[in-house]
Amino acid sequence: MDPFSAEGELLNIHNAFHQGQYDNVIEFDTTALSPENQLPARVLKLRSKIALGRADEVLSEVSSEEDTPDLAATKALAQHTAGDADAALQLVQDLAENYPDNVTVQVLGGTVLQAQGHSEEALALLSKHQGNIEAVALIVQIHLQQNRSDLAVKEVQTAKRWAQDSLLINIAESWVGMRIGGEKYQAAFYVYEELASAPSTAAPLSITGQAVAELHLGRLPEAEAALTAALEKYPDQAELIANSIVLNVLAGKPSTDLESRLQQVNPSHPLLSDIQEKSEFFDTAAAKYSPKVTS
Amino acid sequence: MQSSPNMLTKFESKSSRAKGIAFHPKRPWILVSLHSSTIQLWDYRMGTLIDRFEEHDGPVRGIDFHPTQPLFVSGGDDYKIKVWSTQTRRCLFTLNGHLDYVRTVFFHHELPWILSASDDQTIRIWNWQNRSLICTMTGHNHYVMCAQFHPTEDLIASASLDQSVRIWDISGLRKKHSAPTTMSFEDQMARSNPNQADMFGNTDAIVKFVLEGHDRGVNWVSFHPSLPLIVSAGDDRLIKLWRMSETKAWEVDTCRGHFQNASACLFHPHQDLILSVGEDKTIRVWDLNKRTSVQSFKRDTDRFWVIAAHPEINLFAAGHDTGVMVFKLERERPASAVHMNQLFYITKEKHVKSYDFGKSVESPPMLSLRKLGSPWVPPRTVSYNPAERAILVTSPADNGTYELIHLPRDPTGAVEPTDALRGQASSAVFVARNRFAIFNTSNQQVDIKDLSNSTTKTIKAPAGTTDIYFGGTGCLLFINPTSVVLFDIQQKKELAEVAVSGVKYVVWSNDGLYCALLSKHNVTIVTKTLEQVSTLHETIRIKSATWDDAGVLLYSTLNHVKYSLLNGDNGIIRTLDQTVYLVRVKGRHVYCLDRSAQPRILEIDPTEYRFKLALVKRNYDEMLQIIKNSSLVGQSIISYLQKKGYPEIALQFVQDPQTRFDLALECGNLEVATEMARELDRPNYWNKLGVEALAHGNHQTVEMTYQKQRNFDKLSFLYLSTGDQEKLARMAKIAEHRGDFTSRFQNAVYRGDVEDRIQMFKEVDLYPLAYLTAKSHGMTEEAESILETCGLTEDQIVLPQVEEPLKVAHPVVPTFKNNWPVKAAGHSSFEKALLGEVGAADEEAGADVFDMEEEEQEAVLARDTLEDEEEDASGWDLGDDVNVEEDVDFVNVESTDAGAGGSEADLWARNSPLAADHVAAGSFDTAMQLLNRQVGAVHFAPLKQRFLEVYKASKTYLPASAGLPSLVNYVRRTVDETESRKVLPIIPRDLEYIATTALQEGYATMRANKLEDGVSIFTDILHTLLVNTVSSEEGVDQARKIIASAREYILAMSIELEHRALGTDDEADLKRKLELSAYFTIPKLEVAHRQLALMAAMKFAFTHKNYASALSFANRMLANGGSAKLLDQARKIKTQCERNPQDKIEIDFDPFAEFDICAASHTPIYGGSPSVSDPFTGAKYHPQYKGTVCRISQVTEIGAPASGLRLYVPSQF
Repeated sequence: MDPFSAEGELLNIHNAFHQGQYDNVIEFDTTALSPENQLPARVLKLRSKIALGRADEVLSEVSSEEDTPDLAATKALAQHTAGDADAALQLVQDLAENYPDNVTVQVLGGTVLQAQGHSEEALALLSKHQGNIEAVALIVQIHLQQNRSDLAVKEVQTAKRWAQDSLLINIAESWVGMRIGGEKYQAAFYVYEELASAPSTAAPLSITGQAVAELHLGRLPEAEAALTAALEKYPDQAELIANSIVLNVLAGKPSTDLESRLQQVNPSHPLLSDIQEKSEFFDTAAAKYSPKVTS
Repeated sequence: MQSSPNMLTKFESKSSRAKGIAFHPKRPWILVSLHSSTIQLWDYRMGTLIDRFEEHDGPVRGIDFHPTQPLFVSGGDDYKIKVWSTQTRRCLFTLNGHLDYVRTVFFHHELPWILSASDDQTIRIWNWQNRSLICTMTGHNHYVMCAQFHPTEDLIASASLDQSVRIWDISGLRKKHSAPTTMSFEDQMARSNPNQADMFGNTDAIVKFVLEGHDRGVNWVSFHPSLPLIVSAGDDRLIKLWRMSETKAWEVDTCRGHFQNASACLFHPHQDLILSVGEDKTIRVWDLNKRTSVQSFKRDTDRFWVIAAHPEINLFAAGHDTGVMVFKLERERPASAVHMNQLFYITKEKHVKSYDFGKSVESPPMLSLRKLGSPWVPPRTVSYNPAERAILVTSPADNGTYELIHLPRDPTGAVEPTDALRGQASSAVFVARNRFAIFNTSNQQVDIKDLSNSTTKTIKAPAGTTDIYFGGTGCLLFINPTSVVLFDIQQKKELAEVAVSGVKYVVWSNDGLYCALLSKHNVTIVTKTLEQVSTLHETIRIKSATWDDAGVLLYSTLNHVKYSLLNGDNGIIRTLDQTVYLVRVKGRHVYCLDRSAQPRILEIDPTEYRFKLALVKRNYDEMLQIIKNSSLVGQSIISYLQKKGYPEIALQFVQDPQTRFDLALECGNLEVATEMARELDRPNYWNKLGVEALAHGNHQTVEMTYQKQRNFDKLSFLYLSTGDQEKLARMAKIAEHRGDFTSRFQNAVYRGDVEDRIQMFKEVDLYPLAYLTAKSHGMTEEAESILETCGLTEDQIVLPQVEEPLKVAHPVVPTFKNNWPVKAAGHSSFEKALLGEVGAADEEAGADVFDMEEEEQEAVLARDTLEDEEEDASGWDLGDDVNVEEDVDFVNVESTDAGAGGSEADLWARNSPLAADHVAAGSFDTAMQLLNRQVGAVHFAPLKQRFLEVYKASKTYLPASAGLPSLVNYVRRTVDETESRKVLPIIPRDLEYIATTALQEGYATMRANKLEDGVSIFTDILHTLLVNTVSSEEGVDQARKIIASAREYILAMSIELEHRALGTDDEADLKRKLELSAYFTIPKLEVAHRQLALMAAMKFAFTHKNYASALSFANRMLANGGSAKLLDQARKIKTQCERNPQDKIEIDFDPFAEFDICAASHTPIYGGSPSVSDPFTGAKYHPQYKGTVCRISQVTEIGAPASGLRLYVPSQF
């Protein structure tokens, strides 16, 4: 049986992970799981810890079990997150060569490769998957990051044929939808709203998604309501802050407070670095012009 | 034939055999005439017997209500016809004449006639106004079982045991009896000889047709309400349908099915159906057009004798051996679903329509569901899925069916759906975006299906489940007769259960947090986890409910719209004259569907429940708002407030001092209580106040109440306990004056005043005590003098041994000086709100003075920035052409060969020739190029803020897979666009924002005289507009006007700022100052603001004795009109100046010439002299400033060649 199918015992922990409920994943009671599912569940828990910024903890936890490719892949991800990019890359490339069929190696390896800008390698590794939704989602994301929404659409369509019900596919479809726009914004909004409104699935991830969809739909007051409520609950979520900045600018409100807050929470957030870069670009571009007569 | 799933019995009575039935046309009343000689009047809605009439002898067979008058008529086996009043419930009179049983009696719908049919083989017409027989129709040769008037024409149909049905023409009779103009001899002749042919052989009533076809006696006959059709029921067990024309009548068809005598029949008043009853104990419904049986209903033991239809509403009544049943053929609740601002519902014609609450308009029919279920069964429910724009309709026909249909995007009328998916289910409901659940009662199973109608999951419902409802995201509610179960579909487990019996409908609140469970007589409100919040009971049926946005449940019963708060408080909002099904509440409007499935809007007054809600939520501001804006007073709200423990709020409503006093005491507001007690000034109020004040420790109030009550003892004690020696002394004085020795003694004791005590004892001749007191306090002299007075000596008295006398304790703290710290009563947050409100109102009033309307601005258009943009545009068109191919390339990529594509931001820059779009795309260099070409922008630094702002707003960050950076998406202003060549970025702070917000802020600085701020705001407006887009030509015009206006304000404000910076000591400075203040009046500001400028200039000129200038300003002010105060001043100065219209200091200002002000030097540019202008703002400069940066915009180069600012590209929108 496919461990991630609707009947599988990993469904709930899996869904929780992809909804961004990392705490729930870590606290998930895995003792009752069947032996073959113990390892995937453990990997999910480790990944949750990494996502919560506890990479060092993970590193020490798996240090003695590097023989298991799954755990080695986890280690690579932890190394990457902890900042040891070269070691991570090296490890991933080894793993990709030795265990290209291991699902965890594919997914985590793909993540590390993509994160370090080796998109081609990441795609090559991921394309070896045999019906793994996570791999599909990653492929979709890589395509989107490369601005190839056409390929992303195709990937989602193919996957929907065999995994229509999967939460992750639905979410991935929303990613694509948010890129395509038009009616797809609304469809994406529904997916996120459904997740955000149910208490069992609400997490910063889904609320951010909902708010972003509202933003794209031009429904600023609703987006603001969602973001404000979410920010109260999760004050340190960089993405929430970043999108709030966008919202405030759109609504003609000051955003400096939020920007300094983002600076604190995540100084390397793309929004900040991007603005910085553009600001310098502006100065160089503006320097080319000057009035004929300086008064 | 199908048994009857849809026959809905509304009322049943138990009695002897019912032979006649009549519905009241308006009230929920039914008259039943019984075989036992009784006539019963029932309220079938409440199920109560209102009255009984027992004046007939023997069975009563005929009965009828008058359609408009308060009358009814009955006819019985005592040969009598009785006319009754429904008001007095008395028999008014009896019409005698028939010679045998009277079978039926009916009123004419407009003439004062009664038609009776009798076993004496005659049909008679009576006038109930003059109580006379006016016509007797003979011809039948057996009992006449039934005779009825035609609903509109002058016809009568009669049925007789002679096996015939006869149609009579009574137009002759009407002619004779309708409003006699001149009573001719013939008429009189005719009147005196009823039922005889007049001299031309005409009779009052002639047989028009004889319908033969039944081969047994005919028991009943009825006309169709609008068609020339007749239906009859006979002992041959047949129901026959007849048609007639002007000249003939013929049998159309026969409905076969009754297997015993058919006793009565009629046409359905609104539908193409025939209903009949018979002694075979059945009620049968036939299709009028096909003459086939549609449904039938069988009673076990009782034969049916009669059937009647309500003239207006969908109700029928049938009389049988043991009583009467009132029923309807089908559910009248229209299937409907609400999503956001739209109602989707199914009409009586089975058309799907939508209704927009915002616009209050119905859509044209979107779909026809004619084929769903059986033709006579309306759909039961509809569930709407906004994501897929699909509906799920269920119908009870064939043991329950459902259809899943996509609504057409552009409705083209009532077309049959082509893509409908169907199945068997008793309930069906959407549970998620792409899933719906169906439920079958027969196998107690729920199937979760996807949109292609294939089952993805199967759930066994808890035993006894009768219905399912949506239970919140991913959940279902299972309804069973005694409880409701919340079930998680994904985890397949029951989450909660609540014991509520007989739930029929479930209504979720708009925020999905609460849900109302409606059963026949109960409303139970539960949370989304099925925790019961409140429940309420109604004696009358509950029909529907809907939630207000604020979380108030509005529900409708048969005749009321009511509300219930979450805490269970409820009340009536309004009465209903017909049953409606609520679908939505918005403000003062309740939207509902009536029984004919028409959307209706009911006006309600939500004040009461809003107020109560605000009270519960302690939202004092809102309460205040309500109190101020509506007449919400009255005993009910006061007692409500009191009961709910809000006396301090109730206090705000009450005027009556007595109630106010009580309320004030209750909430401990002594101030108010004192005030009211003063007003009332009666001892028992003072007493109550005193008690309360004492409890508060408010001794000052206590003192006052004791004083008011002249309660000296208590007063003294109070003074003692507060240590107020002075007043205590006064009390002693008073006691002395009053001659009240007890009191005096008491006071003396309190004060420790021994002398006074002795003195008092002496006065009352209590010398022993006086002596004792004196002695024990060591006052020997005094003691001796007492002894002397008494004529005794010391040794004659034996005193007990006493210790040192007790000293009166002195108060440590003189508490009387201050009141005790009192509970800060009387300043509830509510009252604070009240006070605050008053303050705010004042401020508002203050601000109002400067408030001015945004009038049409007469700003001069910057002519030189008009469309000279061919060159520029063509340049960009070329660019577009090149890109087209790239785009095609981009779209056509089929192979999976990887490689990054261009981002959407790149597209924006390609798609638009507008600078703002390039900025949003991050392509600052091309944006600058554009601005340079369009408006000669050269100094970009001031625009940096705006550039970054636009750029910042251009993308969002969507977190995706863990471990990878968020997906970046680009925010579009073309929300509905997906075509990559047309997508365009959103630009923050658009024209509307500038016009409604920024511009007003700018004006406000002018009013408030904050000119530095004003300059920066208006400059910011210019910069914002410079990097912006608009959506129409009108927008372009408006933007130009705003640019011009901003220019004028910046100019004016800079002039005034320069004016202020100068001193007046130096002559040259003064001259310049005078000039500047004059120039300040030149820019084209809003009139109100120009008045301010003129005022300042006038005063300044006047103070420096430049009367001529002052005069010209005054004249201009007067010409402008406006505030009286300003004009007054202007007038005064005008008169002053007219005496000596001379300027003391000559200035460079010609009030009569047209001129512009150079924005750099602030000197005039008179008409005809050379000037250069700024390509963006249009500001004018002396030629020497050419090539420098514009002082107004701070960005553009004066006199630079420019094609004009582009904000709009027609093809984009």
